[in-house]
Amino acid sequence: MYNLVEHGIYTKEKPEEDQEKYKEFMARIEAGEKIEADDWMPDEYRQTLIKLISMHGISEIMGALPEKEWVPKAPTLKRKLGIMAKVQDEMGHGQLLLRVAEDLMAPYGKDRGDVMEDLLKGDLKFHNVFHMPTKTWADAGVIGWLVDGAAIISQTNMLDASYGPYQRALQRICAEEVFHAQHGEAIIMALAEGTEEQRKMLQDAVNRWWPALLMFFGPASAETTGSSKQEVTTKYRIRKSSNEELRQAFLDKYLPRVFALGLSVPDETVHYDKEQERWVYQQPDWNEFKNIINNKGPRSQERLRLREIAFKNNEWVREALAQPAIS
Amino acid sequence: MTAIETPEQAKQDRTYHEALVDLVYQFADDDFIISFRGSEWLGLAPHIEEDVAFSSITQNTMGHAFLFYQLLEELGEGDANSLAHDRRPSERKNAVYFEKKNGQGTYLEEPYYDWALTVVRQYLYETFKKVKLEAAAKSSYQPLAATAQKILMEQTYHLAHWKMWVTQLQHATQEAKVRIQSRVEEAWKEFGDALELGSKAIDMKKLGLLCGEDELKQKWLQEVEQHVASVPTTPLEKCLGNGRAGEHTEDLKQAINTLSEVYQSDREAVW
Amino acid sequence: MADKEKINTFYKKYEVFSKKNDKSPVQHQFSLLAPNAEMALNIAQENFMRRENVIDVWVVPRNEIRSMTSEERKQWTKRLDNKDYRTTKGYGYLRKKWREKEQGMLDEKEILSWKEVKKK
Repeated sequence: MYNLVEHGIYTKEKPEEDQEKYKEFMARIEAGEKIEADDWMPDEYRQTLIKLISMHGISEIMGALPEKEWVPKAPTLKRKLGIMAKVQDEMGHGQLLLRVAEDLMAPYGKDRGDVMEDLLKGDLKFHNVFHMPTKTWADAGVIGWLVDGAAIISQTNMLDASYGPYQRALQRICAEEVFHAQHGEAIIMALAEGTEEQRKMLQDAVNRWWPALLMFFGPASAETTGSSKQEVTTKYRIRKSSNEELRQAFLDKYLPRVFALGLSVPDETVHYDKEQERWVYQQPDWNEFKNIINNKGPRSQERLRLREIAFKNNEWVREALAQPAIS
Repeated sequence: MTAIETPEQAKQDRTYHEALVDLVYQFADDDFIISFRGSEWLGLAPHIEEDVAFSSITQNTMGHAFLFYQLLEELGEGDANSLAHDRRPSERKNAVYFEKKNGQGTYLEEPYYDWALTVVRQYLYETFKKVKLEAAAKSSYQPLAATAQKILMEQTYHLAHWKMWVTQLQHATQEAKVRIQSRVEEAWKEFGDALELGSKAIDMKKLGLLCGEDELKQKWLQEVEQHVASVPTTPLEKCLGNGRAGEHTEDLKQAINTLSEVYQSDREAVW
Repeated sequence: MADKEKINTFYKKYEVFSKKNDKSPVQHQFSLLAPNAEMALNIAQENFMRRENVIDVWVVPRNEIRSMTSEERKQWTKRLDNKDYRTTKGYGYLRKKWREKEQGMLDEKEILSWKEVKKK
């Protein structure tokens, strides 16, 4: 689950690029070739990838936490198994993506430990949706259905990404997302077709998640929050579409399904404009968005605390095995 | 002992049926509670790649509990989900050591979970499970024997995984050695009831459902002595109580409250 | 830019390979971090092959693999397209010749069908 949001790590004066190499590099990009980890690449490309992929990866790891809140509580044996497998996959996606990011950082001597430290220091941000609370079992359903739906839209958009290792990780990830989509649908379908209480629980969850879902794709333009990396990622053929195009694609796919279940969204103005061929909706509070991704969201500190304890409290284990085992 | 092929046949002899049900509850409840504790770890393990592998083991183990609850369902005990979610602590037959919390805090807040406890417990558990399943694979109750044989195929990996962890940490830093050793010594005071078979132990052996307690214990000890660097010389105790007799700790209450929270909110609803 | 990898670290890089069945070749899957080969092998299958059949897994320390460098890939993998003599493509004209003589050509399909020889 990912969205690229500008943040301030690894900022460095852009060195004079070797013009010859740069031209050759761009020719490869434009010819649709894949760039590999040890190929020459302009600093801007490497920095953009590091930011994008480390944020994507750490968001998967942090994203496991809100859903995990419901793992031990899932209401049946089958649901317990399903949600465990799903959250396990999120950890697995984090693993794939962090491996890709770590290899890009290797020339700077940074490794997994540094990524975790960056997260805990607040230098590495994680996706806005994972700062939100989960109040009921329906939240587990809405995360699986709509949050994952949004993630699938943005991840499939990068399936042709120019960076080979990222593209290959995304192939693996998107193949598993099909299971995730159906896992989420199964939970919400049972609730939508369930008791009055269950339907209320589901509607309440949709209402609470709606602003976060709109924010998922980031602001439409740089002016909204002061910065956006959209152009760089399209220039280097990492992704194809803009934030707004992705959001529209999400609304296209999911709003009709929301309505078909007899659910609503908390925006009376939302409608499809046939002439403009786009969904019209009320803008979420983009200042709130900025706060959230700066770790000032409703559950930001609690989630970081969980990760911090998991990382630091287990340090002795990693230290113990850091050297070759004596057999 | 003649082989009993179906639940209907098993129900015809009351002594047989009671001993069988008791035994299957032990298998089901042990797997269920240990996989619940495993599920609390998800996302919090010392290493991401380990987290993923550990979760597979937890899922497999919960799958095993599911199979045993289904056996109970066939034996007329009620449906698998209510057996897992809707039984009071005093009705549960899992050994007490397996219900012990993973450490300080909860999985939602301040989870100071102890990897040494988990490694030691999982290793001792999987070793015990292997021995008990091997005995069950020869059980007179054919559906149980078939289930045990099936589970043993998958369980081999679980044991290999935790054997690796216990071995590596015992040969690592001084801190790791001390942490593992102190959890081993603790386990010696609490593991006792795991190796017992409860009030129907004699019937179980007589009716060919399982081997006797002595054999179970001896085989387990033999295995453990090969991999635990320094096995305590004191006898095994059951300081926390006897789970096979339905005695349990506060930790099991916490577990049941958590795992059945949503289920209990509406037992009739379809989830 | 050379990678700066720490020597005494839990985070050592292993490349993971697996084999799906008796007839398939070993295939690269992904990489993982582990403190030693023992652990890398133990956790590899659940990390990358949870949903597929596997009959064998290999783990190889990344730094033990001498792969082509970026430059070598560029220089050593390009060949002139004039090697028909090495493939069946260069001998396609034989098909017509044999047809004139009312015989079939010994192509790949034909030759691989010789697996079974008639029992005498």
